[in-house]
Amino acid sequence: MYDVSYFNDLLARMEEIFFHELSECSKPKVELVGIDFLRSKKIEGDTVEQVIESCIGHVMKEGLVKDISYSIHGFGILLKLVMKGCIHLPKEVRLEEDGVEPYSCPIANMILDRLVELLHYHGVYVAAMKVDHHKGECVVKCAIYENVEKIGQVSDWVNV
Amino acid sequence: MGDILDVISTRQSIRRYTSEPIPDEMIDKILEAARWAPSGENEQPWKLIVVRDPETRHQLGEIARQGTGQRVTAEYCLGQLQPRFEGIKDVEQRESVMKFMYSGEVSKFPATAPLVIIVVGELKGMFDTPYDLSACIENMLLEAHSLGLGACWVHGPAVYPRTAEKLKKLLKIPTGIGQYKVLAMVTFGWPDGKRKHPRPKKNIEDIVYWEEFGRKERS
Repeated sequence: MYDVSYFNDLLARMEEIFFHELSECSKPKVELVGIDFLRSKKIEGDTVEQVIESCIGHVMKEGLVKDISYSIHGFGILLKLVMKGCIHLPKEVRLEEDGVEPYSCPIANMILDRLVELLHYHGVYVAAMKVDHHKGECVVKCAIYENVEKIGQVSDWVNV
Repeated sequence: MGDILDVISTRQSIRRYTSEPIPDEMIDKILEAARWAPSGENEQPWKLIVVRDPETRHQLGEIARQGTGQRVTAEYCLGQLQPRFEGIKDVEQRESVMKFMYSGEVSKFPATAPLVIIVVGELKGMFDTPYDLSACIENMLLEAHSLGLGACWVHGPAVYPRTAEKLKKLLKIPTGIGQYKVLAMVTFGWPDGKRKHPRPKKNIEDIVYWEEFGRKERS
């Protein structure tokens, strides 16, 4: 049986190569990485909150992340996820050590994918992620557009 | 053989076009220029979809507008867009320019370009597809400029896998991830006026090193 660190090392290598190839354009390219996990689970909900909570429940129950909290801001466009004890944290730490800013969050991707599939969100993506390896915590800010009309509704996400 | 530096150095990305159509002979020349681009192992992985149909162009413009709008709305909210426009001192004008960006309107122009060419790359068995396609696009841009046309390379809609899939479905491109890659669309048309704000280029001494990285003295 292999330790999860084996898979994190593989992912880190892949992401480094990908960044080296595409620079900042590597970020949007990985929006589908991680989505398969929750596609195989029964996620339920009629509202964005219900779907996110259902996703979080599965992610924590399966031990991918120890604790996740979320909040929605900015006209419903900003989804902020705070994750503690994610199994992918060592991958992010290694990337940072190697001089690549972490850019791919499979956990956020899988949650966003459920918003598209179940609630027909028009567009979703990871807009920013900050890794604090001392705290063992990641803060991921995601853009979630329920419909086309949401595009262009701006607000302050920096101080959220 | 003539020096084409004048053509290269006077080319600009043109996003505003008149409604005047482009003659077929000019389109053929642009396509011919694409065909002569260099490619790794001479594999020539490009497939070019020529779009003139107004409805399809409208949909391409919408995909581009929405793609840019989604990305730039978040960039603005995160404070990442503002530094790019610090040079505009008038606050109202600066906000207006940024709104043009985050609304996505800045990328809607494929809808009003009389000609859009979608640049698609074959993947299987190829070695350098994205780079080959980039050379192919540059050839088309230069040829168009030499003919007096304006053109613009639009990469944004092809960046996000979900958006790229929309493009593929619209144009009936096989959607298998190992088959074809949509790299970009290129818009063409007769320029509607001159660009108000030509984009500056970096100085040669800021981009060139001699013999080794970082060495600025000419060898």
